[in-house]
Parts: sequence; C-alpha cells; structure tokens
Amino acid sequence: MNENATSEPIIQVRDLEVSYGDFKVLKGVSFDVMRGETFVILGGSGCGKSTLLRNLVGLMRPAAGRILINGQDFTAMSDNDRMEIRKRMGMCFQGSALFGSMTVGDNVALPLREHTKLEESTIDIMTKIKLELVGLGGFEGFMPSELSGGMKKRAGLARAMAMDPKMIFYDEPSAGLDPIVAAGLDMLIRKMQSTFNLTSIVVTHEMSSVELIADRVCFLKNGEVVAIGTREEIAASGHPFVQQFMARRPEDEGSDREDYLRSLTGA
Amino acid sequence: MTAFVGTTGRLALNSLYAVARVCVLVVDTLQWAFVAPLRGKGLRVRSTIEQFVEIGVNSLPIVLLITFLIGAIMAMQSSYQLARFGATRYIANLVGVAALRELAPLMTAILITGRSGSAITAEIGTMKVAEEIDALEVMGLNPTKFLVVPKFLAMMMAVPCVTVLAMLSMIIGGFALTTVVIGLDASMYIEQTAGALVPKDLVTGMVKSVFFALTISWVGVYRGFQVEGGAEGVGKRTTSSVVTSIFLIIIVDLIFTVLFYFV
Ligand SMILES: Nc1ncnc2c1ncn2[C@@H]1O[C@H](COP(=O)(O)OP(=O)(O)OP(=O)(O)O)[C@@H](O)[C@H]1O
Ligand SMILES: [Mg+2]
Repeated sequence: MNENATSEPIIQVRDLEVSYGDFKVLKGVSFDVMRGETFVILGGSGCGKSTLLRNLVGLMRPAAGRILINGQDFTAMSDNDRMEIRKRMGMCFQGSALFGSMTVGDNVALPLREHTKLEESTIDIMTKIKLELVGLGGFEGFMPSELSGGMKKRAGLARAMAMDPKMIFYDEPSAGLDPIVAAGLDMLIRKMQSTFNLTSIVVTHEMSSVELIADRVCFLKNGEVVAIGTREEIAASGHPFVQQFMARRPEDEGSDREDYLRSLTGA
Repeated sequence: MTAFVGTTGRLALNSLYAVARVCVLVVDTLQWAFVAPLRGKGLRVRSTIEQFVEIGVNSLPIVLLITFLIGAIMAMQSSYQLARFGATRYIANLVGVAALRELAPLMTAILITGRSGSAITAEIGTMKVAEEIDALEVMGLNPTKFLVVPKFLAMMMAVPCVTVLAMLSMIIGGFALTTVVIGLDASMYIEQTAGALVPKDLVTGMVKSVFFALTISWVGVYRGFQVEGGAEGVGKRTTSSVVTSIFLIIIVDLIFTVLFYFV
C-alpha cells in the first residue's frame, strides 16, 4: 500500500530491556523499521508502548540492548551526537505536550527559531504552511488551552513536522478522540507519510488505525514481541493473544460463576 | 534497633542522593549560564528579562509595603523599651542596622520564595507532567538552558535589587512612625540613621541576599523537576519547595550572621 517503503532498515532494535526500579517493562524487544514505511506498535494499555517510544527517541537509556539508527549506535552516543540525530526526528506526544505558555504559532515556530538562522518573516510563512498542512490554518494566534483534543494533536503534529524530519514518532495519535476525528488523524498520518517520504513509527491500541495506516505491525504483550509482520501475516499468525486482541475479547474472568464471586469478595 | 539503623541509613543515602542531584543541577546551570554563552551557544536574553520583570518588578508593591510596615512595627517596639531610658533617638540606629543586616534581606527572600519560588516549581512541574520537558528534549532544546538559566539569572539580579529597595522602605517605615506617632524630630532621625550605618551593614545584607537568591532558585527548580504523577504531584512539590526554601534561607542567614559577627 505504500510505494515509498523500502527494505533497508533505518532503526534496528536489539534485545532492548528497560525497567523502572525493580519493575521490568521491556524484556528483550527486537525489531527493524525500514526506511519509508509506517511501522505500527500495537499492544494493550500499560504494556510499555510509551516506554519503548521514549527509548527510541532517546528520552530514556535502556538497561540493556541496543538501538541503531542509520547503523549508528544511538544508545552509546554522546549527548551532543544524539542532539544532532534528534533534529531529524519528530515526535507527537500522547497528550500533545504543546507549550501551554506559548501560542500555537510560537509552538510550531520554536524549533525553527532555535535551530535555524532564518528571518522572522520566513519563519512566519513556514509556520503558516505547517499549520495549513494539518488543517489548522488561521489558528496560529490561539493558545493551546483554547483548542480541542483533536486540534491539539494536529498542532503537535505541525510542531513535530517543523524541522522537516526524516522520522516521525506518534504516541497514540487517535486515542481519546471520536471515530471520525480519529480517522481524520490517521488520514493525516498517511498524507504526511506519502508527501514527505517519512518513516513513521506509530504506537496505538486501535485496530482501526492499523487497517488505515500500517505497512507492518509489531504486537507487544507483557514487554515482549509476540508477533511481527504485515497485516496479513499477523492475521494469519494464529497467536492466541493476537486473535483475542483483534476480536476485542476480554481476558477470561474465570469460567466458574462461583470463582468469579469469590474473587470479587476476596473470600 | 535494626529498623532504626535501616531507616537512618536510608535517610542518609537519600539525602546524599539529593545533594548529588542538586550538585549536578548547579554545575549544569552554571555551565549554561556562564560558560556556554562564551562559546557562542547563546543566552535567552528576552526570557531572562521577562523573568526579571516577573520576579523583581512585580513583587515590588508587596515587598515594599510589608517592609515599610515592619519598619514601623520595629520602631514602635523599640520605642517601648528605649523610652524608659529616655533614649528614643536610638530607634533610628536599631531600625537602620536591623533593616540592612537582617530584616530587609530576610523578608524579601521569604516573600519572593512565596511568590516566585513556588511559581518556578509549579511551572516546571506542570511542564514535566504534561511531557513538555520531554518535548523540549526531543526537539534538541536543552531544558536547563531553555527553562532554568533565565529563571536563575533573573533571580540572581532581582533579589539583590529588591533587597536594596526593601532596606530603604523599612527605614522609611521606621522614620514615618517615629516622627508622626512618637513625635521625634525628623532631622535628628536622619542624622542618627546616617551616623549609625556603616558600609559593612550594607555588604552583610547584600551578601546574604545573593545567597538567598541562589537558595530560592535552586530549591524551586529542583523541586520542580522532582514532580511525578499529575496535578497533585505539582501541588505537593510546590508546598515542599516553599517550606524547604524558607528553612534553608534561615540556615543560610544564621551561617552568615555568625560569620559576619567575627569578620
Ligand atoms: N515513571 C515511571 N515509574 C514507574 N513505572 C512506570 C513509569 N512510567 C511507566 N511505568 C510503568 O511502566 C509500564 C508501561 O508504561 P507505559 O507508559 O510505557 O505504557 P503504555 O503501553 O504506553 O500504556 P498506555 O497505552 O496506557 O499509554 C506501566 O505498567 C507503568 O505502570
Ligand atoms: Mg502510553
């Protein structure tokens, strides 16, 4: 579905282990992301998706394992080198993370003002273009608190796109939005992908997003990869957790009614 | 017994850890405030000026009002004692020396802690909770350079400036009460004040105010970065920021008072 996708890895994750204190969140995760594809990381709430993303963009250092970006070891790099690579990355946060003290326009302009020596008038035009691109033309004077949830996500995307990144990371882009707005965001992700030839890494727990945007999918459960591949390969894999996730079946509560009542009362 | 040893040990380790974290923060701030600009990495001048206006200029009304009133209160209280010896002219000495060496720097620091120390913690904490700090880092912007240094520099300039004005206001408060209520001669009060104060009094107060500024900014920033969880985390850390800061200000005050007594 995506003619830009290649089979040349841009991100390689090897045996990644991450813990918070004694609590191990990721237990040896490995996968490759190819240049130009949309790679979707799917998994239940609390299984460590955001944690994985934070490691990929270098906000956390893993306890063990390696992350290679363009063949360079991102985990062992000095902070300065990481900063350079980060300028080629964009990230959309789960809660949009717009700077509340700045207007939407200033939010988008910030990376340009800080990292480039462009004229203020040029920055103005570029800000307008980016906001236009996500369907927020004319909103540059608004404060983030004056935007709806979906608009905030779009503004966050415009900010992530400000420096024309090569890779873009989305944390739950469509969570907490109504289905129409969510589908609109998915379409936007596809548009960015095809217009700018981006590599996109999308974390989500929405099966509907997977159908709209994914080239390849990686299933996470309890900090491990249970299945990886194209949608067809995943569907055919027959892994019980994958089947359960796709059919939206809940965890078994205990088959016996007596057991269930007992578990509730704690007797 | 073992429980006691364990608790004490853990407490000591945690304090040690906190001290280490503060040291990292201090070195990082100084690096970005003074070394990096020399290497052409830039300083956020506009943001620093905005913070200076917020911390220094906007706190003037309340600081000047309160120090004026305390000057008046001090004059009244000392008159109560001195009148018995017929020595009311020495009210001027008492108010002047106490204002410069002790009360103006201390009151200014405590008021600015309440206004701006808490605001620094709340702002950084809210940004942390909302992943805004992470967003800065992902954009390749250093949070220390971007957030901490402007606040730090503004605080270092604002607190001493406000302190000087607070000293003046406190003396005027004492002067107003003494001349109006107690009925002492105005020119005598001024003469008496001028005779009582020596440069060392001013130096003592200013040195204190610089160290108070360091305390307020570092406690505020440190507590801000400690925030975890949600809104209640911000509230908790903001409270503890004010409490810690005032406690440390008193300790610093004590140390310098003892020091200046001997030198
Ligand atoms: N700062 C932290 N300290 C301790 N534990 C944490 C911290 N952040 C996350 N965790 C734990 O790590 C696990 C994974 O968290 P993470 O945020 O990565 O989940 P997620 O897959 O993104 O979930 P969601 O879909 O709800 O966003 C959770 O069980 C959480 O309790
Ligand atoms: Mg998450």
